Amino acid sequence: MWKEKHPSQPGRWPQGVRLPIMVSVHHQSEEATCPFPDGQPDPFDYGERQYGARRGAWRLLEIMQKHEVRGTWLICGATLEKYPEVARAVKKAGHCVAGHTYAHEMMCNLPKHTELNLIKKTVAVFEDLLGEHIQGWRTCFASHDTVDLILEHSDFAWDGSMWNDDLPSIIEGYGRELLEIPFATYSDTALGVDITSPGNPPTRYSTWNANTPEFMFRGWKAAFDALYERGAERAVMMPLVVHDFITGRPFRSKVLDDFIAYAKQFEGVVFTAHDQVASWWKDLYSTQGK
Amino acid sequence: MFPGERPNYMVGGAMQYGARRGIWNILELLDKYQIKATFFVVGTTAEKYPDTAQAAAKAGHEIAGMSYAFESVRTASTERERSIVRRSAAVLQEITGNRIQGWRCADYRISPQTHDILAEEGFVWDSSMLNDDLPYLFECGARRLVEIPFTTSTADKTYVGYPYPQRGGPDGLANVWNNEFEVLYGESERARRCLIFSLQTWATGRPATLRVLRQFLDRLAGHEEFWFARCGELAKRCLESPQDSHSKV
Repeated sequence: MWKEKHPSQPGRWPQGVRLPIMVSVHHQSEEATCPFPDGQPDPFDYGERQYGARRGAWRLLEIMQKHEVRGTWLICGATLEKYPEVARAVKKAGHCVAGHTYAHEMMCNLPKHTELNLIKKTVAVFEDLLGEHIQGWRTCFASHDTVDLILEHSDFAWDGSMWNDDLPSIIEGYGRELLEIPFATYSDTALGVDITSPGNPPTRYSTWNANTPEFMFRGWKAAFDALYERGAERAVMMPLVVHDFITGRPFRSKVLDDFIAYAKQFEGVVFTAHDQVASWWKDLYSTQGK
Repeated sequence: MFPGERPNYMVGGAMQYGARRGIWNILELLDKYQIKATFFVVGTTAEKYPDTAQAAAKAGHEIAGMSYAFESVRTASTERERSIVRRSAAVLQEITGNRIQGWRCADYRISPQTHDILAEEGFVWDSSMLNDDLPYLFECGARRLVEIPFTTSTADKTYVGYPYPQRGGPDGLANVWNNEFEVLYGESERARRCLIFSLQTWATGRPATLRVLRQFLDRLAGHEEFWFARCGELAKRCLESPQDSHSKV
């Protein structure tokens, strides 16, 4: 069992930080390919997704480097095994690297011991291939066991699997603390393409149900403008989720490029990663929260 | 169509527009800009509307195959898939006079044998994959096949086709195409790049979308150092210098 701890007042980030933006790249490539009823992967879905590791991730990495933006890369264990050169380039560029399940499993449909094995397997892959002991974790389709498993069986400092809040919370249980840093509903999967509609199996990524890049930009700008306003009075954050195979396509990558250029003009906007936000939030809670 | 349903002429008619009107509109525009393109022609479409495929071939466009009657080959036997490829090639040769060199699976879903079959049947290139920006080579036994990947994410029908309601419409499609060009053109200063758009005669052939294509082509006029290539020409270049056909950003 565990409980959440929230600060008793809104709180502020460190001096000079008004809005932290965490560009969070889901580097999963073909891992979530939807199978046909015969169990075989859909070659069309597979190809559109595989673009993520072959091209998309490199393009996103380049855009972040161009703007000198440090972000969070959430990488599937299987993707790391297949395309280690991408993850190595990401690590070399100094980004925060975190785990994103082994093969983008829908943990909500799996028994507890399977989920635990997949967490352990992924941690081992990062250690073996990247020499990285990961501190962060995200499961897009979290189960009711996810938080318990992480608390009891991992030493992760933060989890980012929840979609249920604007701000982090401290989760206390199993004799330790974990920081939950939730994500938001303006990801490229929410604004750009249809892939995460509730349902089982998840919606096949066919690209047909897609919004224009301009629509995506307007969505991000609307979220940014609102958060920047609120940031004058209290701590806010903007977790900006993009996928290697979606926003990594040339025509959508320009949205990220343009958005970073737009947002970084504003005083107090800081592009940063989950590990930094976790550390700020702990300070905020201990000095202003109780 | 769902199993047991008969064709309905709302959807059927909107698609038929492509053969009755759309392809002619597109041919006229390409002719005006003197651009040679690649037309993927389904066998039965060529049989029903032979004058369209003939006009495209006569204008210097490349004709490529895309199934005989829009069959899905993902789970087809090797024999069945081979017969579909042969029948399509025979129909297109009879109608246009040329042997096709290139192929795209009708529903963009290959079988495990597709590339081997195409190589064995003497094809030079395939364009059924969706996983890269640049062409690459497949070794199929002793033969090589050039893969020219494409994407549906920039396809006209994503923004001006189905499902209704359309997402973005003609303006949205212009936004997609302009971005795609701008990004790839910018990157091409540093590395080899290739842009491929998938157009449907029933979607881009409509006046509003055709105008988007025309405006896109006008926009290119201010740029230099690009090459309008038919897929066969691109494949030829890849075979001549395979070391250039695939490179990371």
